[in-house]
Amino acid sequence: MTCAEFQAVLPYIIDNGGNAEQQEHLRNCEVCSGLVNDLKYIAEQAKLLVPMMEPPKKVWDGIKTSLEQEGLVKDSARGSLLSSSARTRWGPSNWLLPIAAALLVAVGLFYYHNNIAERQAPTEANSAMAGDTANVAGSSATAVQSASMGNEQDRQILSEIASHAPSLSQAYQEDLQRVNAYIADAQGIVARNPDDEDSRQALMEAYQQKAMLYNMAMRHSLP
Amino acid sequence: MMSMPRGFYWVVMLASCTALGAAAQSKKEFHYTLGPHAAINLVNQFGGVTVVPGPEGHADITALLHSKKIEVDAVQRGSRLELRTHFLQNASPAEGQVDYELHIPADTSLTVRSTSGPISVEGINADMTLEGDTAQITVRQVNGGHIHARTLSGPIRLQDVKHGDVEVVSVSGPVTLTNTDGHMLTINTTDGKITYTGDFGDSGEYVLANHSGDIDVTLPASASVDITATSEKGTVSNDFPFHPVPHSAFSTTQGKSFAGTANAGSSSVRLRSFSGRIHVKKQ
Repeated sequence: MTCAEFQAVLPYIIDNGGNAEQQEHLRNCEVCSGLVNDLKYIAEQAKLLVPMMEPPKKVWDGIKTSLEQEGLVKDSARGSLLSSSARTRWGPSNWLLPIAAALLVAVGLFYYHNNIAERQAPTEANSAMAGDTANVAGSSATAVQSASMGNEQDRQILSEIASHAPSLSQAYQEDLQRVNAYIADAQGIVARNPDDEDSRQALMEAYQQKAMLYNMAMRHSLP
Repeated sequence: MMSMPRGFYWVVMLASCTALGAAAQSKKEFHYTLGPHAAINLVNQFGGVTVVPGPEGHADITALLHSKKIEVDAVQRGSRLELRTHFLQNASPAEGQVDYELHIPADTSLTVRSTSGPISVEGINADMTLEGDTAQITVRQVNGGHIHARTLSGPIRLQDVKHGDVEVVSVSGPVTLTNTDGHMLTINTTDGKITYTGDFGDSGEYVLANHSGDIDVTLPASASVDITATSEKGTVSNDFPFHPVPHSAFSTTQGKSFAGTANAGSSSVRLRSFSGRIHVKKQ
């Protein structure tokens, strides 16, 4: 059984442990066993959130209305598919745990898949190219992941500027592009020369530029 | 009855508009007593800030408000003075403009933030932080202290700044330093051009670095420096008669990097660019 096959059925077997083949894979595979441990931890932590995240009654009424409209449940006036004792068991607070756990498991799976892809990327590159290029590919995967988070932060910063200082929007956009290019080039130099002090210093200076830009942008949103 | 020439009416209209504009402006004055080593914090979104030395122990501040949509909040707490332009209602940059002029003791530390500036400081021998998105920042005749100047695209000029610790950061604003030296001086731009003219003082550490802007250094024959210059993708040229550095760990490549010393080599100078041109020449 491969990791991909195991992870495809993981949401269905995480509670009962799976069949013999799946359990055998779990015993022998460090990656998948680590994933299962993390997901179980997330699910346990989700239970602790229940008392603090009780939503208002209107949220549950809204969910109930949606389910009725889709024909998944019938309202009490037309007769109920669920017995009264079942309704009692599946009250609002009982819905929260599986919803929260499902969301957290989905987030955990997404996060773990991205981490596995990042760890596998350098290995695949190593088999095809020389060591230096492999290091660049590995750091590129990290850079891409960092870049996507940075892009979201950049968008938020530009949104703040557009709201509070629209006359500066274009200037900020252009300068942000310049700074991101600086960071990308500096990261490339460090990837090629990881032991070079000047290269690391250049990367720090590039980040200093971005930090300054963010700092100045955020001041505009302060009262 | 004679009719007035049309031009006369235009002159009257122009004069009326000017008068109305002037009437909308108002001048506020603030006077404070400040002890030694006091601190002033000024935040002004639109408009210039000019700071010059004044009588010892006193701060005299003049604010020219360009409309009634803004006011100046001024508060003194002990030896700290806070000045802030306060918007009473939505205002355009022209309506929100306040021009400040400060006459303060020379040992007063400063923090000035102005979006559009300009910011000008002269003759103040104390710590200062000057910041503006597009503001032009000028610092002249300052002795000692820590000087921090930051802009996104505003030009920064330092002239006759001595014996201080200087940090200048700008994304795309040009940075010009003339006759400026100190214990530590770092200039960091993304693509702003860096121009240094001077002798780099004595026993200082200087780093001039950018991503894609040019770096031009002009120094006299008497300069005492230990210098390295490198550009990853750009070019490096040198017209100064440096002595080569024996047994240096710094690798030199013709047209891309060089290292050398002049006189005793007492100040360390690092010039670094990713794709800009670096040029060093003799004054």
